[in-house]
Amino acid sequence: MELPPRGDDAVDGGPDDRVPLFGSWSRAYAAVVIAALMVMALVAVFSRWPF
Amino acid sequence: MSPLDWAVLVLYLVAIVTFGMMVGRGNRRIDDFFLAGRRMRWWAVGLSVMATQISAITFVGTTGQAYTDGMRFLVVYFGLPFAMVLLCLTLVPFFYRARVFTAYEYLERRFDVRTRTLTSLLFLASRSLAVGVTLYAPALVLSVILGFREEVTILLMGGTTIAYVTYGGNRSVIWTDVVQMGIIWIGIFLCLGVAITQLPATFGLRDALALAQGTGRLEVMDTSASLTRPYTLWGGLLGGLFLMLSYFGTDQSQVQRYLSGASLTQSRLSLLFNAFLKVPMQFMILLTGVLVFVFYHFHDAPLLWNPAELQRLEQTVPADRLEPMKQRFEQAREARRRAVLAFAEARHQGRPADLSAYRLAEHELLAARASAIGEVERATGKEYNDTNYIFPVYVVRQLPRGLAGLVIAVIFAAAMSSLSGELSALASASMVDFYRRFARRGSSDSHELLVSRVLTGLWGGVAILVALQAGRMGSAIEVVNLFGSYFYGSILGVFALAVLTPRANGHGAFFGLLIGMASVAAVANLTAVHFLWYNVVGALSVFASGLLISRLTRARAGAG
Repeated sequence: MELPPRGDDAVDGGPDDRVPLFGSWSRAYAAVVIAALMVMALVAVFSRWPF
Repeated sequence: MSPLDWAVLVLYLVAIVTFGMMVGRGNRRIDDFFLAGRRMRWWAVGLSVMATQISAITFVGTTGQAYTDGMRFLVVYFGLPFAMVLLCLTLVPFFYRARVFTAYEYLERRFDVRTRTLTSLLFLASRSLAVGVTLYAPALVLSVILGFREEVTILLMGGTTIAYVTYGGNRSVIWTDVVQMGIIWIGIFLCLGVAITQLPATFGLRDALALAQGTGRLEVMDTSASLTRPYTLWGGLLGGLFLMLSYFGTDQSQVQRYLSGASLTQSRLSLLFNAFLKVPMQFMILLTGVLVFVFYHFHDAPLLWNPAELQRLEQTVPADRLEPMKQRFEQAREARRRAVLAFAEARHQGRPADLSAYRLAEHELLAARASAIGEVERATGKEYNDTNYIFPVYVVRQLPRGLAGLVIAVIFAAAMSSLSGELSALASASMVDFYRRFARRGSSDSHELLVSRVLTGLWGGVAILVALQAGRMGSAIEVVNLFGSYFYGSILGVFALAVLTPRANGHGAFFGLLIGMASVAAVANLTAVHFLWYNVVGALSVFASGLLISRLTRARAGAG
C-alpha cells in the first residue's frame, strides 16, 4: 500500500505558490507557534495583573 | 426592540440573501458548486473557516458562560494554532494534491471503499442531526427574546440560508461568511465598547477588571493535572489540540472550505490566518461576557434570565412565596452594589480593598436565585439553565436603539454562517461519496449540478425538521452530541493511519475505527474523564489498534 503523492513545496510550483511571508513554510509555522505561545503568556499575565 | 432595531435586522436578512444570490451565479459543474471552482483567496477562505466554526450558540453561550463562570473556557482554543500547523504539514497537502471533493474520498484512494463509506456515513449521521441543533438552539433563545414563535425563527433563519446555499453553493457560502464574519467582529467590538462606557463614572475599567479578578472570572490557567476537571491548561493544550485536529482535519464542513483555495498555499494560509486570530477573538468574546457581568452590578439583573420562565414563575407561584423570594433577591442585589462601590472607593483611596462584604451579598443573591430556579424545576420537571439568555437579554434591554438590532443580526449571522457551511458539506458528502460513487457515475455536469442543488435543499429541509422537533427530542439531543464525541477522535485516528505510515492497510483502518469508537464509549461511560480527552483516546486507540491489525492481516496474507 503506497501513500498518495504529498504536496510539498518543491512540487508546488507556480507564482501563486510562493510563501508570501517569512521566506519559507518552516519559518511561517515557527511564527505561528511563537505567536500562539506569546498570546498564551499575555493571557496568563492579564489574568494575574494587579489591576 | 425598537422599530429601528427591527429595520436593521430586516435589512440584514434581505441584504445577505441578495448578496448570497449575486455572488453565487455562474455555477456550471460541481467543482463550482461545492468548491467554488477552487479559485478562492486565503483571506476569504480563512474568514469562512472561522465563520463556520463560530455558531450562534457558541457566541451567546460563551458570553453567558463568562458571566457565570469566567474565562476558563478559553483554554479549549489553546490547541488550535498548533493543530493548524500540524494540518498544514500533514493532511492539507494530501487532500489538495489528491484533488478530492470530500475528506472521506481520500480514504478510498488510500485504503478501501468501506472505510470511506463508513466515515462519510458517520459524518452524515451526526452532522444531519447536529445541523438541526445549530438551527434550533439560537432560534429558541431569539424566539423568547424577540417574542416570536419558535417555528417562525427557525423558518426565517433556515429558509433564508437554504435559499442562497441551494442557488449559489460554496461560493455563496464563503462570500456570505466573509460578510457575516465582518458583522460579527463589528458586533464584538461594539458590545465591548458599550459595556465599558456604561460603567458608572466612579467605577473605571481597572476597577471592573479588579472586580472580575477578585471573583475568579479572569482565571484561565488552571494547571491541575486532573483528567476529570473541566478546562485545565493541559486539557486545553492536548485535548483541545486533538479536538481541533479532528474538527478542522476530518469534518467535511471545514475541509470543504479550505479545499476551495486557489492553491495549496492559499489553503494553508487560510488555516494559519485562523491560527493567529482565533484565540484573540475568543478572548474578546469572553471578555465581553465578563464586562456584562460587571455591568449588571449597577443595573437591575433579573431574577431569572429566561423572560418566559420568569413570567411563568410570576403567574404560577403564589405571592406569599414569590414576594419574599423577590425581596431577598433585590436586597442582596442592592447590598452587592454597595459592596462593589465601597470596594472601588477603597481602591481609589489607596486603602486595602477586600471583597468579603461583596461575597456575602453575592452568596445571598445566588441563594435567592436558586430558590426561584427550584420553583421552575419543580413546575417543569426539567433542569433549568439560563446561561444562553444572559447576553441576548443584555443586548435587547441595554444597548442603544439600532445597535441592539445590529447585535441580534450578529447572532443571526453566526447561526446562518454555520448552517450554510454544514448544509453545503452534507450535500457534497452525500453527492460525491454516495450518489456519484454508487448510484450514477459519469453523469453530465448539468445533471450532477441539479442533483447537488436538490440534495442541498433536502438537507436544509432535514435541518428545519430536526430543529422543529428538537424541543420534543430532549435527551435525544444529548445522545446526538455524545454519539458525535465517540467517533470524532477515532476518525482522526484513521486519517493519521492514512498519512503518517505506509504500513497501515484497509483492514487496520476499518477495524481500528470500530475499536477506537468502542474505546471512547467505554471511557465515557465507565470513567469521569472530561470530554476534551475523548478525542485523544479515540485517535490513539485507532492508530495503535489499526497498526496492529494491519500487521497481523499482512502477516496472514504473506503466510497464505
